[in-house]
Amino acid sequence: MALYNFKKIMVVPTAKEFIDITLSKTQRKTPTVIHKHYQIHRIRHFYMRKVKFTQQNYHDRLTQILTDFPKLDDIHPFYADLMNVLYDKDHYKLALGQINIAKNLIDNVAKDYVRLMKYGDSLYRCKQLKRAALGRMCTILKRQKSSLEYLEQVRQHLSRLPTIDPNTRTLLLCGYPNVGKSSFINKVTRADVDVQPYAFTTKSLFVGHMDYRYLRWQVVDTPGILDHPLEDRNTIEMQAITALAHLRAAVLYVMDVSEQCGHTLQEQLELFNNIRPLFANKPLIIVANKCDVKKITELSEENQKIFADLSVEGIPVIETSTLTEEGVMQVKTEACDRLLAHRVDTKMKGKKVHDVLNRLHLAMPTKRDEKERPPFIPEGALTRRKAMEVDAPKRKLERDLEMELGDDYILDLQKYWDLMNDDEKQDKIPEVWEGHNIADYIDPDIMKKLQELEKEEELKERAGEYDSDDESEDEEMQEIRVLAKQIREKKQLMVVESKEKDVHGPRMPRTATKVERKTLEKEMGNLGLDMNDKDGSHYAQQARRSRSIAKKRKREASAPPTSKTRSQSASRPPRDQSGLRDPKMAKKAKKIMKNSQKGMNRQGKKGEADRHVFDLKPKHLLAGKRKSGTTDRR
Amino acid sequence: MPQNEHIELHRKRHGYRLDHHEKKRKKESREAHERSHKARKLIGLKAKLYHKQRHAEKIQMKKTIKMHEQRKTKQKNDDKTPEGAVPAYLLDREGQSRAKVLSNMIKQKRKEKAGKWEVPLPKVRAQGETEVLKVIRTGKRQKKAWKRMVTKVCFVGDGFTRKPPKYERFIRPMGLRFKKAHVTHPELKATFCLPILGVKKNPSSPLYTTLGVITKGTVIEVNVSELGLVTQGGKVVWGKYAQVTNNPENDGCINAVLLV
Repeated sequence: MALYNFKKIMVVPTAKEFIDITLSKTQRKTPTVIHKHYQIHRIRHFYMRKVKFTQQNYHDRLTQILTDFPKLDDIHPFYADLMNVLYDKDHYKLALGQINIAKNLIDNVAKDYVRLMKYGDSLYRCKQLKRAALGRMCTILKRQKSSLEYLEQVRQHLSRLPTIDPNTRTLLLCGYPNVGKSSFINKVTRADVDVQPYAFTTKSLFVGHMDYRYLRWQVVDTPGILDHPLEDRNTIEMQAITALAHLRAAVLYVMDVSEQCGHTLQEQLELFNNIRPLFANKPLIIVANKCDVKKITELSEENQKIFADLSVEGIPVIETSTLTEEGVMQVKTEACDRLLAHRVDTKMKGKKVHDVLNRLHLAMPTKRDEKERPPFIPEGALTRRKAMEVDAPKRKLERDLEMELGDDYILDLQKYWDLMNDDEKQDKIPEVWEGHNIADYIDPDIMKKLQELEKEEELKERAGEYDSDDESEDEEMQEIRVLAKQIREKKQLMVVESKEKDVHGPRMPRTATKVERKTLEKEMGNLGLDMNDKDGSHYAQQARRSRSIAKKRKREASAPPTSKTRSQSASRPPRDQSGLRDPKMAKKAKKIMKNSQKGMNRQGKKGEADRHVFDLKPKHLLAGKRKSGTTDRR
Repeated sequence: MPQNEHIELHRKRHGYRLDHHEKKRKKESREAHERSHKARKLIGLKAKLYHKQRHAEKIQMKKTIKMHEQRKTKQKNDDKTPEGAVPAYLLDREGQSRAKVLSNMIKQKRKEKAGKWEVPLPKVRAQGETEVLKVIRTGKRQKKAWKRMVTKVCFVGDGFTRKPPKYERFIRPMGLRFKKAHVTHPELKATFCLPILGVKKNPSSPLYTTLGVITKGTVIEVNVSELGLVTQGGKVVWGKYAQVTNNPENDGCINAVLLV
């Protein structure tokens, strides 16, 4: 809906800026190089492109302005009237009309010159035609200077108008200046309207929102109205009149009982009668404000009669004081209720109701005996409902406590905890104990769960689920079990034995060393394997290292085979320790090494020799025009 | 939501930032430095535009300063001496002015008889045929070259119909036909867009005159009924001569000066 797009209107540039932007855009976004010796069609195309590009830009921007600004005929009559009051409908329409004309003129200019350029037979001629075309378009725009300025001001003001939804529930405040309308709205909603002792502090409409009965209500504050005929009203008052005329709202006519606003009650009554026609079909409430200074009962006879007359006519008169807040809630509830009833009535009288009513059916259960079965409303809900209507705070809020204590206030949420012993509330609880997170173990039913688990386990055990299955095994299985047990024991023994020995640095695995045949036969024999069958064996013969049979030393199974190079490397210090005197120097050397690797690592290189370039021709360096500045490198 | 004058309201309630005035003052004083930095460091097209704009600004500034200074100094008031007041030694030379007028009138009549008109542009560059007329080749083998197309702006009358295309020797393309001219009145200094009635004389060649080619210096006849001129006898003047002052094929429009 048009209402909410008032903030989204694009900025309207001034004429000079507009021209500058478009011309520099043409210069940047179209090709710039052309020579005399090019073919004539290429030259023509080059210049025609510039003319068309400029025309396109102007056209687009002007069209955007024209579509962004709301058409007074398309928006809600409230906003149309408000804009008429604020900006003068005629001026507004004229300005937009001028922009439209300018757009059409620019299009025509471009069309003519493009047609002429087809007959251009030299670079000079085409260039002059392009220059003439652009010049004419810019002159057309220069003439729109005042329209553009006006539209920019309208846009700025429009974006700051309060967003009033004309169709939703609204309360409208009206009355003389200085009677207390702005104070009322400040009390009832979160709006922060300026309240000052001089008249016409509020110079335009303000809107605030409040909640009642789970619905959102708008409260509209208007500038004060003085009592003179419609033609003499100035812009400020006319805004209030517009709001009164177009918004279907509950009207709260605010009167100053104490006459502190500078106008007597008689004058206020006069004004009321004068604008009475605007209140037709709207629920009306008279708010007698500033009753802390003077109550109605303290007034003179004739003044009291005024109020009596009004209440006789059926218009509720409610005394309020925005200073002491008495009666404010009453006004609110009264106005809201009346407006809701009114709205429901109007809807019932309308045509759309029947669509809904046809489909609604309230089913009532039929009585089967004489017993009364009223709806059950729990006590708490009833009290809460009553409290909501009175709207008094039931318990002391933290905020109130904060206000009382001032600087001494400390937020202490532990006092709201629900514990079995109340004196435990302020106890300190550790977070971690013996390496466990206490929070993991907090469960209100933890003891109960433990007991259940134990019961289950007991039952299972009794049922015999954990007993081993002895009878189902046959002899073979049992033998295997015995053997397996023996193997396990032997393994454990060997592990213990090896742990008792000294460890000499890195070890070759057992399978890498040569095993003597005799050892193999003995071990396997101990384990119970029959090693006497020598024919079926597959012993590998290892080739003799030297020609003579050298005496082999008995080696331990776990000692590493020492070769010549290996023995030297054992005696030489490793590379990263050679040449370094002390750990400090070693640390520094390591740091230098790491530093030199940093660059390579950051670029993801495999090593020093990795000179691969992933992107030989990066686009951001090689695309685009050579702009001003040095162009001796890419 | 911020409504109406929320910025001013905030200022009224909370005042300005503590350093607001200081910052503002310093920013304003920095402006001169920034301007000079820009003027020194800008290059290219931006520099040209900026310097042009700045030059115009400076001229305005100098004018206002001069105006202010004029107020302070005393000036010789030229209006005080009435016209016609002649010093004593020139008292017997009044008859001359009237004689000058008469002789001028006689000279003009003689020029009219000779056919020499006083025009704003007495001499213009002659346009050769190769410039004005382009050769169009026709025929099955594109060998025949008797057709010509006019490359300059031209005027054809209202009732103009082309000769049958096979036989027309001079082609005047529709895109180059203009009907209106922007005519400036030399004394009023006002410009009007008036319809052309015809081409009176093209200084380059009588051929161009018959074709209706309009180049710089051509004398055209325009319809001045818009201006509402009336002769001595009470007749309405509706046609006057004007001379073209620009190159219409380069500018896309015909600018002329009225010959009064």
